Amino acid sequence: MADQQAAGSGGQVLVCENVSRWFGGLQALKRIDVAINQGEIFGLVGPNGSGKTTLVNAITGFYPPQEGIIRFYDSTLNGLKPYKVAMQGIARTFQNVALFKGMSVLDNILLGRHIFMRPSALASLFYWWWAQKEEIAHREKAEEIIDLLQLESVRDEPVDVIPLGMQKRVELARALCAEPKFLVLDEPMAGMNQEEKEYMVRFILDAQEALGLTVLLIEHHMDVVTAICDRVVVLNNGEKIAEGPAREAINDPAVVAAYIGKSHDAA
Amino acid sequence: MFYRQSGVHHTRYQTARRLWPLPTDQGIVWLLLALAVAAPLYLSDLYLTSYLLPWLIWSAAALSLTLLMGIAGQLHFGFAAVMAIGAYTSIHLTRAGVPFELALIGAGLMAAGIGCIFGAAALRVKGLYLVMATLAMQYLVDWTIINVPAISGGAQATLQTPDVRFLFVPLRGDAMLYYGALLWAVIVTLLVLNIKRTSFGRALVAVRDKDFAASVIGVNPFKFKLLAFFASSFLGGVSGAVLAFCYYQAVTPEQFGFNVSIQLVAMVLVGGLGSVIGAYLGAGFVLLVPIILTNLVAGAAAAGWLSVSSNLLAHIPLMVYGGLIIGFILFEPLGLAKIYDNLRKYFLVWPFRHTQS
Repeated sequence: MADQQAAGSGGQVLVCENVSRWFGGLQALKRIDVAINQGEIFGLVGPNGSGKTTLVNAITGFYPPQEGIIRFYDSTLNGLKPYKVAMQGIARTFQNVALFKGMSVLDNILLGRHIFMRPSALASLFYWWWAQKEEIAHREKAEEIIDLLQLESVRDEPVDVIPLGMQKRVELARALCAEPKFLVLDEPMAGMNQEEKEYMVRFILDAQEALGLTVLLIEHHMDVVTAICDRVVVLNNGEKIAEGPAREAINDPAVVAAYIGKSHDAA
Repeated sequence: MFYRQSGVHHTRYQTARRLWPLPTDQGIVWLLLALAVAAPLYLSDLYLTSYLLPWLIWSAAALSLTLLMGIAGQLHFGFAAVMAIGAYTSIHLTRAGVPFELALIGAGLMAAGIGCIFGAAALRVKGLYLVMATLAMQYLVDWTIINVPAISGGAQATLQTPDVRFLFVPLRGDAMLYYGALLWAVIVTLLVLNIKRTSFGRALVAVRDKDFAASVIGVNPFKFKLLAFFASSFLGGVSGAVLAFCYYQAVTPEQFGFNVSIQLVAMVLVGGLGSVIGAYLGAGFVLLVPIILTNLVAGAAAAGWLSVSSNLLAHIPLMVYGGLIIGFILFEPLGLAKIYDNLRKYFLVWPFRHTQS
C-alpha cells in the first residue's frame, strides 16, 4: 500500500494518516490527515493551542501518536525515538530557541553535523591522527551553511549574547547542517521585527532552493504564510478545518470563524 | 601589550582549531611544561614529592571529574570510590604478575564498568537524585572494600604497592615517581582539551544544556550520558591507581573515603566547572591553601602577633578556608578559572577595555 501511495501521488515526502494524540483526557490531535509533497513549502496554521506543535512533536518522535501512521518516504516514523527520526533526515527548529547556551555559534552549528560524525573519546585522545581530518571536513560543510545564512560576523560569539533574530538564524543553520530532506520550522519568525522577518523569509527560500528541501512551516504571520507557502493546513482544537492553497484556505469561512469568532458569538 | 590578540589571523581551519590559537598562550604552555619537566632539578625532595606530585595527580582526578560534572553535566558525589576501585584493582593485578601498563588499563576498565552501573541511574534521574545514587556508590564501594578481605587484605590492613616498571623503566625514586605523575597529568589534560574541541565533547555539552534539542539533531542522550560516565570513571580509576603507586605507595580504604569525594567536588567547583585550567587551580587551592594557612597562623602565633589558645589556633585555618570557599562561590561562581580568564582578556586587548568572546 505504501508503494501505491508513493507512486500514485507523485512523490509524497511525509504522510500522516489518521493521527490522534491524547494528553490525559484532552485530545490534542483528532484524526489528522496530512500529505506533504516533494519540494513544497507546506504551511501549518491555526490559533493558539490548536495542535500545530503537537503534530510536529508527533512527527519528530517527542509525543508519538497513539493512533494513526506517520510515513516518511517509504519508512514509518511511529515509535522512533527523536534521535532516530533525526537520522532519517528530518531536522527541526523550536518555537522558543533551543540552542546550547554553553557553546559558541560555530560549535552549535557544528553539532548539526553530528549524525555524520563518529564521536569517541579515544579518537579525541589521538586528535592529531584520528579526529582532526574529520573535524576539518565537517567544518568546511558548516562554513558553507554559515556563508548561506550570512552568520560570519557572529561565528565565534557565545550563542547567548547575540540578538534573538540571530539566534533563530543560528538554529536554522544548525538544522540545515544536518543536510535534511525534510525541514520543520516551528514559528521561525516569532518575536521578530519586520526587517528580521524579511531576512528570515529570504533565507528559508534560499535554503530551500539551494538544498532542494521540503519544508513544513508553522507560522502566525499570515503575510509570510500567503507569500511563501504552496499549500496550508489549518488546525483548530486538534481538528483539520481547511486545506489548500494558502490564500484560499485562510479565507475559508471556518478559518475566519476559528480566528475571530462567528458573527453570532459577538455580545 | 605583551599579550596581543590583534594581528593573529588564522587562514586554515587546522590552525584556527589549535588547542591554543594565540602564540602567547602557546609560549606560556611550553614554559610551564619545561618548568614541570625540570622540577626535580630545582625543587627539594620535600616540595617535589609532598606538594607538586600530589597536586598533579589530584589535578588529573579533578579533570576526570570535571569531564563528567562540568562538560557532561552529571553530578557525582562518589568519585573517591571510583578512584578506590582503580587503586585496588591495579594493586591486585600487579601482585598477580600483570605488567603495570596493562594493570593501569585494567584499573580503568574496572572503575569504568562499576561506575557505569551506578551511572545508569543518570538515565532516569537528575540533580539531587543523581547525587543520592552516586553517594550510594560511595558507601557501597567503601563497605565492600573494607569487609571483603580478598580486596582490602583484612580489617585495618594496608596493602603495599609492589615494585613495578613502566615501559621498561623502574618506577622507583622520587624523580621517577614524579615523572610518572606528570605523564598521567599531561595525558589527561590533552584528552580533556581535545574532547572539548571534537564532536564527542560537543555532544556531551549538548546533552547537558538541552537534551531534547540534542536528540533532535541526532544525539542519543542515553548513550552519551553513559559514555560520559564511562570515560570519566576510566580516567578516575587510572588516577586512583597512579595515586596509589606514585604517591601513597600503599592503599588503605580510608584514603578514598567520603570526605575525599567532597574534596574532589570542591576542587571542581572552586576551580570552575568544565574548565581544564580550573581543575589545576582548584586542586591546588584545596590541597595547598589549608597547608599555607596553617603555616601562616602557626608562624603568626610563634612570632607573638596572635595570642590565642592552641585549640583555637588549630581551627583558624579551617575557618578561613571555609570563608574563602564561600567567598569564591559568592563573588565568582564560575571559579578560579573565570578569574584567570578575566585577567587574560584584560591583557588581550590592553589598553582598550572590551574584548570579543
